[in-house]
Amino acid sequence: MIVFDKVWFSYNTQQVLKDVSFSINENERVAILGGSGEGKTTILKLILGIVRPDSGEIVIDGENITSKTEEDLREVRMKFSIVFQEGALFDSLNVKENVAFCLREYSKLSEDEIDRKVREILRIVDVEHAMELMTDELSGGMHRRVAIARSLAASEPRMFLYDEATTGLDPINADNICRLILDLCKNGKGLVIVTHKVLDAIKVANRFMFLKEGMIIFDGDRDKLLHSTVSEIQMFISELNI
Amino acid sequence: MGTIKIKELISDLQDFYLFSIRGFLGTIKQPFYFKDMVEQMDYAGAGSFLIVFLVSLFIGMALSLQLSAELSRLGLKMYTGKIVGISIIREIGPVTAALVFAGRVGSGMASELGSMILGHQVDSLRVFGVDPMKKLVTPRILSSIIMLPALTIIGDAISLFGGYYIAVFVSHQSSTVYWSSIRDVLTFENVFAGAAKPFIFGYLIACISCYMGLSTKGGAKGLRRSTTSAVVISIVMIIVSDFILTRVLLYALGFSV
Repeated sequence: MIVFDKVWFSYNTQQVLKDVSFSINENERVAILGGSGEGKTTILKLILGIVRPDSGEIVIDGENITSKTEEDLREVRMKFSIVFQEGALFDSLNVKENVAFCLREYSKLSEDEIDRKVREILRIVDVEHAMELMTDELSGGMHRRVAIARSLAASEPRMFLYDEATTGLDPINADNICRLILDLCKNGKGLVIVTHKVLDAIKVANRFMFLKEGMIIFDGDRDKLLHSTVSEIQMFISELNI
Repeated sequence: MGTIKIKELISDLQDFYLFSIRGFLGTIKQPFYFKDMVEQMDYAGAGSFLIVFLVSLFIGMALSLQLSAELSRLGLKMYTGKIVGISIIREIGPVTAALVFAGRVGSGMASELGSMILGHQVDSLRVFGVDPMKKLVTPRILSSIIMLPALTIIGDAISLFGGYYIAVFVSHQSSTVYWSSIRDVLTFENVFAGAAKPFIFGYLIACISCYMGLSTKGGAKGLRRSTTSAVVISIVMIIVSDFILTRVLLYALGFSV
């Protein structure tokens, strides 16, 4: 479903991705690991066409999206559901309005129907009780759950994208979010999660890539990751021994 | 190094130019975010009323005080109302309201949009298929174009009342003479020369502030930089465009210099 072919990307003079190539199938659960500033989030932004590569091709469902216009990209983006780092909820809206945002923008549903649908989605992520709260009144875990709810309301995604979905959460909340992420993939849907938390990545993914200085230095399954001899990866997985 | 900076400046100017045009086109092309516009009008207009009231009142009083002192030495105190009226309506009122607006509303726009950029909220809008220009920029441009002229008219009236208080109760001039002088200067030319400016100022402040806000990068430091730039550039542009507009309007309305 997602193919990166020799993708190079830079922000001004800073080279972020260097000759990155990989392909991800629709039902794969992939974790992209790496330190801060290694270009993990950029990969998600490239998948959605939020930023464009300097060179190389990004193919989604057989279509090269690198030269698509903002209007054409909407169709591509509807195939995914993304949860940005720290949720990226609209802080001027309450929980209900955040989740209802896309329904109000695009659907022709009545207010009653929107209300019903929002409740249904919030029930799935277990934050129905927080419906009237403003986003700054939510705990970190609730924030992520609402962000997941909002992304579910936005589209019928074929794949989920998560940007540091568990960062900043305590282990219990992080574990709950991981369970929710897995629950949403139960019917065979795939996901791409970018994170620096190996423990959480192992809980939700079955394929792992490791980014270092803008290049993918590792691509393999759980066993291969745990037995990797690459020093950076060993440093990351040392977290698991604690 | 210098060449790179010049290239960056030219590139920024080009981006800003395109941004302003897109912002303007947003006001005439669907979809319209009416609710967002009303919210912005409330923030920009009603929220700025008190500060415009205070600034205008004291500027009117200070101007009247200065003029009364100087004109009384020449035995021309009866002209206080006329000069206060012309200065406030044609020049000081629109510029003062615009400066206050840039400081309060422009900085608010830049910091709000900047934090939305840093919090990936603008990216979220794009992912959901919503054009940030239409949703965020156009309502702010429209609210500024509507509310700054309204604030200017209110500010002018308050300044004239401030001038009246000083002229009549401190400088002991005739109330009738003051108001009849003000009535004399409320001609179409004078009112138009003052009323045309806030539309342009409002558009400039909103475009500059939104552009700076949406260009934010680099965390809290970047947010500080973009907010400061929004206010500083807006203030400079208000003063520069005021001079240009004054020259054009005086010529167009047949005033001889």
